[in-house]
Amino acid sequence: MTPAEPVYDVVWPLAPSAAPAGSLAARSDDLRGKTVGELWDYLFKGEEIFPLIRKALEARYPGIRFVEFEVFGSTHGRDEKELAATLPGLLRQHGCDAVISAVGA
Amino acid sequence: MLRAAAIAERAGVPSVSIVTTPFMQQAAVVSKGVGLPSLPIAEYPGVPMTDGSDAVTRKIEALLPQIVAGLAGARDVARAAVAEPGPRDVVARGTLDEIQELYHRNLWSDGLPVIPPTVERVERFLSQTRRRPDEVIGRLLPENRAATVWSIAVNGVMAGCRPEYMPLLVAIVEAIAEPIFRVEDAGSTPGWEPLVIVSGPIARRLDLNHGQGVMRVGRQANTSLGRFVRLYLRNVAGLRIPPGAGDKGSIAGSFNVALAEDEDAAAALGWPTFGADQGFTRDDSVVTVQSVVSVSPPIYSAGTRALEHARILAEVFGGACGYWSSIGMKYARWEPLLVLGPSIARVIADDGWSKDDLRRYLHEHVTITARQAETYALQVGATSYTLEAHVKAGVLPAAYATSSDPERAVPVFVQPEKIGLLVAGDPGRNQSKGYVNNHIQGGRVSKKVATP
Repeated sequence: MTPAEPVYDVVWPLAPSAAPAGSLAARSDDLRGKTVGELWDYLFKGEEIFPLIRKALEARYPGIRFVEFEVFGSTHGRDEKELAATLPGLLRQHGCDAVISAVGA
Repeated sequence: MLRAAAIAERAGVPSVSIVTTPFMQQAAVVSKGVGLPSLPIAEYPGVPMTDGSDAVTRKIEALLPQIVAGLAGARDVARAAVAEPGPRDVVARGTLDEIQELYHRNLWSDGLPVIPPTVERVERFLSQTRRRPDEVIGRLLPENRAATVWSIAVNGVMAGCRPEYMPLLVAIVEAIAEPIFRVEDAGSTPGWEPLVIVSGPIARRLDLNHGQGVMRVGRQANTSLGRFVRLYLRNVAGLRIPPGAGDKGSIAGSFNVALAEDEDAAAALGWPTFGADQGFTRDDSVVTVQSVVSVSPPIYSAGTRALEHARILAEVFGGACGYWSSIGMKYARWEPLLVLGPSIARVIADDGWSKDDLRRYLHEHVTITARQAETYALQVGATSYTLEAHVKAGVLPAAYATSSDPERAVPVFVQPEKIGLLVAGDPGRNQSKGYVNNHIQGGRVSKKVATP
């Protein structure tokens, strides 16, 4: 008689989620007259992409203005941690109603 | 980039993020990890780095409705919370084959068979540490899970570690959880892999190889420690290649086996050990983790004088680092590692050179042109990067912008003191090997191992 094959009671190899609860900021329905901040990781042609977005949104939404990416510095790499500490203050300081963050993931 | 958007959202400022199609799955993992799974995204189709100006213009025009919708219309989508198992919950019962199948199907394994993590096996690991099983060592992005001592033991079991490795496993996770290591970027496209370096008495006690074949799979401690790191990154940081997500390494590489130094050989030279270079004594057992993105060819060097070896090391190790040094310069923190064969280290030391002398030589003699540095960085995606601007911004020293001549030579190694030097490998051959790290991603972090 063949001995019974052992069986194993196994546990889960992942770990508890530490993702914080959160919700999106409240949105306005209209971008007219709003101030939009540009957050860039200084990668993948943002220097071409942001001016195109600016031009197109200015044509559609009178009074819209932009705080350009140079004001915030790179969101990627050596400045990222510092940015996390300073970004909320910078957004307030420049009166940003919304931000566009680019490019990548 | 999505993390910046999340910071804005939490500050009450609506965001939209432009993400390229190939990164959409990665974006979903990051969004969930930052606790905002509904972060608005405008999807840029394709790869901007291979798009001409006309294509970029056309695609951005097509993207506008998504940008506007993200900024002005997006709303949170309610998602039902998914209950996850507790640490001691038995998630399955099965034979060895059935367990393998389950772990493969759920993306819980690395493609190799795993040791079934039963509660009994996990407890054997836990008995080797004084840390509580529910103690959280850190939070690992991008999936943002709590790196508990329990989860370390589970993955240590699965990787084929021995219970007595547990203090090392804890120290490894302490290292990768440090902010300077940037585990959140361990799934970036260069596809870097952590390298664990074990220093001090524990290396000998656990039978880590430091000699011939040191970086080859084959010695249990070296191999299973390296495998543990990859498994832990998959299961707790959430870095999985397709059909999973989170790990966007474009070609990437396999896990590195853990490296140990031939400390007796290093000490016999009168050189500080690698562990001492990290600020510890020879009596301290230490784990160091850093990224490795590529490896040099085997570097054979011959001769009886230090300079003869240094020249070859500069050419081959320097050459292996040259292309990626552009990224090292961009972030100005770069920690390549050179593993010196014991016989080579002996000649260099006998000629009166210290490790710092060798570092200085490499710094002074390995250069590329400014044009190469900027061109290489551009290919990676740094489309607006110049050395001159980085010098002006105080990121790089003045030596990188002594003129505007694109053919001027600039040092490959930004900070010579950050070149890691370690003695290991075949004492019966004259071979060294270099390990290129991924700039600020996977920065070198050392942790003392707390033995029970």
